[in-house]
Amino acid sequence: MSLQLVFDALALGGIYAVAALGIALIFGVMRLVNFAHGQFIACAVFALIVPSTDALAVLGLGALPAPVLVPLILLIGAGLAVLAEALVFRPMRNASPVALMVGSFALGVALQNLLLALYGGRPKAVSLWAELGQPVQIASASVPLLQLIVIAAVAVILAGLALMLRKSRLGLEMRAAAEDFTMARMLGVRSNRVISGAFALSGGLAAVVALVLVAQTGVADVRMGGQIMLVAFIATVVGGMGSLSGAVAAGLGIGAASALLQAGLPADARPFRDAFLYGGVILVLLFRPQGLFAPVGAKPRV
Amino acid sequence: MMAKLGVYDLAVRYGKLTAISDLSLAVAEGERVFVSGPNGAGKSSLLSAIAGAVRAAHGRIEMDGEILSGLGAEAIARRGLSMVPEGRRIFPGLTVLENLSVGTGMRRDRSAVADDLETVFTAFPILRERARSAAGALSGGQQQMLAIARALMTNPKVMMVDEPSLGLAPKVVDEVYDRLCQLQALRGLTLVIVEQSSARAARVGGRMLLMRGGRIVADGDATEFAARDLLAEAYFGGAA
Ligand SMILES: Nc1ncnc2c1ncn2[C@@H]1O[C@H](COP(=O)(O)OP(=O)(O)OP(=O)(O)O)[C@@H](O)[C@H]1O
Ligand SMILES: [Mg+2]
Repeated sequence: MSLQLVFDALALGGIYAVAALGIALIFGVMRLVNFAHGQFIACAVFALIVPSTDALAVLGLGALPAPVLVPLILLIGAGLAVLAEALVFRPMRNASPVALMVGSFALGVALQNLLLALYGGRPKAVSLWAELGQPVQIASASVPLLQLIVIAAVAVILAGLALMLRKSRLGLEMRAAAEDFTMARMLGVRSNRVISGAFALSGGLAAVVALVLVAQTGVADVRMGGQIMLVAFIATVVGGMGSLSGAVAAGLGIGAASALLQAGLPADARPFRDAFLYGGVILVLLFRPQGLFAPVGAKPRV
Repeated sequence: MMAKLGVYDLAVRYGKLTAISDLSLAVAEGERVFVSGPNGAGKSSLLSAIAGAVRAAHGRIEMDGEILSGLGAEAIARRGLSMVPEGRRIFPGLTVLENLSVGTGMRRDRSAVADDLETVFTAFPILRERARSAAGALSGGQQQMLAIARALMTNPKVMMVDEPSLGLAPKVVDEVYDRLCQLQALRGLTLVIVEQSSARAARVGGRMLLMRGGRIVADGDATEFAARDLLAEAYFGGAA
């Protein structure tokens, strides 16, 4: 296996893992599959450019230097998610999980239409950090600098999140609420704080995915969140709904498998890469329908 | 005198099913009250309604004259009412120490929190030993101790414990009650305990309520209940 392939697998898997975490975090505390997550990603992408329906994109925030831009976009992603929770999901707090899921679909459609109205429907070329495309020589492999940055960023995010969940008060409350929400409340844990916290983290993770997608593809497209949302959702199911480590593992696994299939399949079979990939997913679920890492407290919301 | 905990005309319904109706109850400060009754009598529903885990269909619940009914479970916990629910409901994936810490987030008396941890560790030494292991790996009796200790860590004024003896060996039940009474004396706690066995309640000592069909049908000293049950057993050869 070539070294190049290892980097491809890590970078793709890492992004899938971050996207899957964004879904698993919210599912963990609320038993809600947030299908608007893809649109959170798309909104963070379009926050980079000035609203207009012109074919040519003009960078707005995207023109800021990275040390300002990155935290700002993360904040925008987190803010959008917290706002969405307060306006859409909080009034539905006692609704059934199915109603919540439908609500998340509706929110996704609303956000997508908002983007269409503000920016038009055609994909736009966006050049973000073009200088990161230059290759770096590592042993036998020639790796784009961006790929290395993505891998490092994913590692930092995963470690930071793990630390936050283990060591901080909010992390403790989120883990307790994920296992038994009502019991956590009976111990004085504030549900609003825990749920807002989960949405903020999830929105921040959506923004990370957005930045990476734009930098990698050079395109802003209203539909771009949908594709990765699908993969991320599958990863959370394979990992075991609500298991954060499961979502990360499955995200990495699916990304790696995808990169390996892309390189390893004969040219004729390559167009069917995703069929092989999802065939594998179905196999996993046949043998472990509860996912690879079903968490202890995965019973429905009380 | 104003009751520490007052329940007035409480009704609890699950859809069409009425679990509790017209229930009134006053508990004095520092009192120990056992709640008994057959399965389905509404004992757990009463405790859950007081703790705000289920919504009352009707009625008023007060602690120290402040109205609790209508507040959420978290707000009620923050006012000093703590619950050890049926089935213990410890957080199995969290460590023992983390379980004990969940309820201290609302407290401002940081140094008292450390003292309280020392108190529960002294009362239940096994919890100190297992502080860093997953709570799910504890035995049933140890989980019951953890659930009680976790409730105490919130520094409650009123504590409710739902069937602490369920599924435990008699010797372990003795130990749990010993510690519970000890901690009650130490803290001046008001205790409401669901306990099926009148003999056990009489041995521990306190007031006893008998529930049936969602109402309180008898109220007196636990020893009276125990004597009556003993008599019934002698005559009918089975638990009443
Ligand atoms: N979550 C619920 N949904 C629907 N019905 C319920 C629920 N919880 C309790 N009930 C019903 O309410 C009634 C009272 O139940 P509750 O659990 O309060 O009784 P209990 O006295 O605690 O019984 P046990 O001794 O078995 O614990 C029962 O008929 C029960 O079936
Ligand atoms: Mg019960």
